[in-house]
Amino acid sequence: MATTAINLTARDFKGKSDPDWCPGCGDFGVLNSIQRAVAELGFRPHEIMTVSGIGCSSNLPGYINTYGMHTLHGRSLPMATGVKMANHEMNVIVVGGDGDGYGIGGNHFTHTARRNTDLTYVVMNNQIYGLTTGQISPTSSIGMATKSTPFGNVEQPINPVTSAIMNGATFVARAYSGDVRHLSGIIQQAVRHKGFSIIDVFSPCVTFNLNNTHDFFKERIKKLEDEEHNISDWKTACEKAMLFGDTIYTGVFYEGERPSLEDVEPVLKTGGPLSFRELGLGKDEAHKIITGMM
Amino acid sequence: MATVTTKLYQEPKEELISGSEAIGIACALADVDVITAYPIRPYDTVMQYVSRLKADGAFDFDYIIAESEHSQFEIVKHASSVGARTFTGSSGVGWFYAFEAITVTAGLRMPVVAMVGNRALDDPGAFGVEHNDAMAVRDLGWHLYWVATAQEALDMALIAYKVAEDPRVLLPFALSCDGSFLTHSQAIVQVPSQDQVDKFLPAYNRGSLQLHPDNPITVAPQANEDWLMEIRKQTDEAMRRTPAVIKEVYAEFKEVFGRGDDSPFIEQYMCEDADVILVGMGTLAMPTRVAVRRMRETGKKVGFLRVKFFRPFPTEELQEALKGAKGIAVIDRDYSYGSPGYGGVLFHELRSTMYPLDERPVMLNFIAGLGGREVMVSDVEEMVETTQKAIDTGKIDQETTWVAVRE
Ligand SMILES: Cc1ncc(C[n+]2csc(CCOP(=O)(O)OP(=O)(O)O)c2C)c(N)n1
Ligand code: SF4
Ligand SMILES: [Mg+2]
Repeated sequence: MATTAINLTARDFKGKSDPDWCPGCGDFGVLNSIQRAVAELGFRPHEIMTVSGIGCSSNLPGYINTYGMHTLHGRSLPMATGVKMANHEMNVIVVGGDGDGYGIGGNHFTHTARRNTDLTYVVMNNQIYGLTTGQISPTSSIGMATKSTPFGNVEQPINPVTSAIMNGATFVARAYSGDVRHLSGIIQQAVRHKGFSIIDVFSPCVTFNLNNTHDFFKERIKKLEDEEHNISDWKTACEKAMLFGDTIYTGVFYEGERPSLEDVEPVLKTGGPLSFRELGLGKDEAHKIITGMM
Repeated sequence: MATVTTKLYQEPKEELISGSEAIGIACALADVDVITAYPIRPYDTVMQYVSRLKADGAFDFDYIIAESEHSQFEIVKHASSVGARTFTGSSGVGWFYAFEAITVTAGLRMPVVAMVGNRALDDPGAFGVEHNDAMAVRDLGWHLYWVATAQEALDMALIAYKVAEDPRVLLPFALSCDGSFLTHSQAIVQVPSQDQVDKFLPAYNRGSLQLHPDNPITVAPQANEDWLMEIRKQTDEAMRRTPAVIKEVYAEFKEVFGRGDDSPFIEQYMCEDADVILVGMGTLAMPTRVAVRRMRETGKKVGFLRVKFFRPFPTEELQEALKGAKGIAVIDRDYSYGSPGYGGVLFHELRSTMYPLDERPVMLNFIAGLGGREVMVSDVEEMVETTQKAIDTGKIDQETTWVAVRE
């Protein structure tokens, strides 16, 4: 883990611009939780890279003081994979929405889990497309009326937790953005975990999803850690993750261990990651390039 | 595939609606069977409008909200092959994400009608209009039409189905609609009655090309070098046949609905004796017409020509309409990096249109209004001045000018 001479706090990870999210948006809690988690883990800003796609939630890298990349709709995971392959020492936190990650980018979700790439993926799941002003997403509940389904959604939503487990992710959790202490603790575990970690976070869209509100979750959420739960038992994890009625579980559902992509990729075994290879540049040349870019 | 037609408009009616709503109403009147959608501004405005019509029971159709634009376009392509009348669309990068499906739609001769809510391509991010998104289909065998008003959006959507589904044509049809200026702005639109539309638009019938258990055919075989050129040539022949079909359908439309311009392909405004003719597409028509009117009042011989069909490109009509001018100022709301002389796409097409003429007018190109920036009347006046100067001096200092742009 990182070592810092001075202890940074969450405030040190505040970005230069303030979020333009609606007042009450769940994403504020996620931003706070990430800032708190990386500060408590003792990281410095240059040791973290946040990568996102497109959506309200995907604006997060603009609000945090770390390296950041705001990419294309649905393409955050392949971009983040590239970052991690080029620099293993970078702690890559991928953020975005349910539409971005489970819909248009759903294939990457499957394959990143399968490869077990060492990334931390925080999905702000508001069960709606927020930025495009309120259409159904792949996690919208059946019957939900939205701008694209005034007659009610007819499609079965996907279950991110069971999907992630089945596809091979090795750290799978769920949280609620209104409980910053809990979420930030899970993010810390996820960042420490070696392999693909995913946290599906209920992060209510207070403007366009009037069903899955803060109250909705507060009434239903039960924490797995408050009862017996064996995190290496994927079958029970899936059973518990499938409950979405009076009880909705949050917490770490599953944690396992197997080699991640960086461990097995042959190219990396011979040459090492790009960032650590000799560039064959003299000090002066390097200085010139860097000053040229500043 | 027939769905229940709910008679939304028993009688013709005047409505205050946006361009997107006009297209949604046209879909209902055309009794479209399958619509697919994926949200992206400004296409989402149509998506939301047809959702509402469905929820209200005013228009019954199979509605599939896909998980991405690629699936959206794949679904309508297949639905079209089994004889369903289809509608879809997108904007900007969403349209690009669907490109694999977009190109095969034309290759397979599926008369899908799609709306492109024109939007600047990323990066940088911008919601405003730019024409490069729609332009990307110009070489693929799609009809490509630039709409200027909400009325035209409704009318052309109906015409699009009739042209695209004509057995002599069977090529998809893209309706290009300027984001915000057209998709979101409301205007008074004459909505025809269902009976009028039924009289004008027959049911879609693919005949022997319809995929059906009783008609086992192969769609999209691997053809390789054995047949590929012949298939391409067939598409070319269909595109060469479509201008005559468009004329025919447009004349019928005018007869049934009592509306329409002289030509389906171009619109001329004060062009008869003009020395300088401005040429542009889409909603640019509005400020340009105002500028032309004002300049005419001061005695300047100026006109405006709006290109409506970009594909098929109205070559002969344009030659005829432009040959008498001394100078032509082409306004492009798009750009083609590294193109001949570095200019916009419309400019290049027009220049090659004019090349065979014995006497060619001076031609200048103005890149304007990218990313939704407004094109002002004063911008247009300046374009005319620059063109007039080139005519007077016989010298072109600069062929392409970026209008109202910071250095
Ligand atoms: C290829 C492409 N298609 C569509 C869009 C339009 N778009 C922007 S954000 C978004 C969905 C946002 O939903 P989600 O990912 O759940 O994020 P949220 O805004 O809810 O946080 C869409 C469809 C786009 N940017 N790119
Ligand atoms: S629209 Fe919804 S998701 Fe977007 S900022 Fe507002 S509350 Fe948050
Ligand atoms: Mg969302």
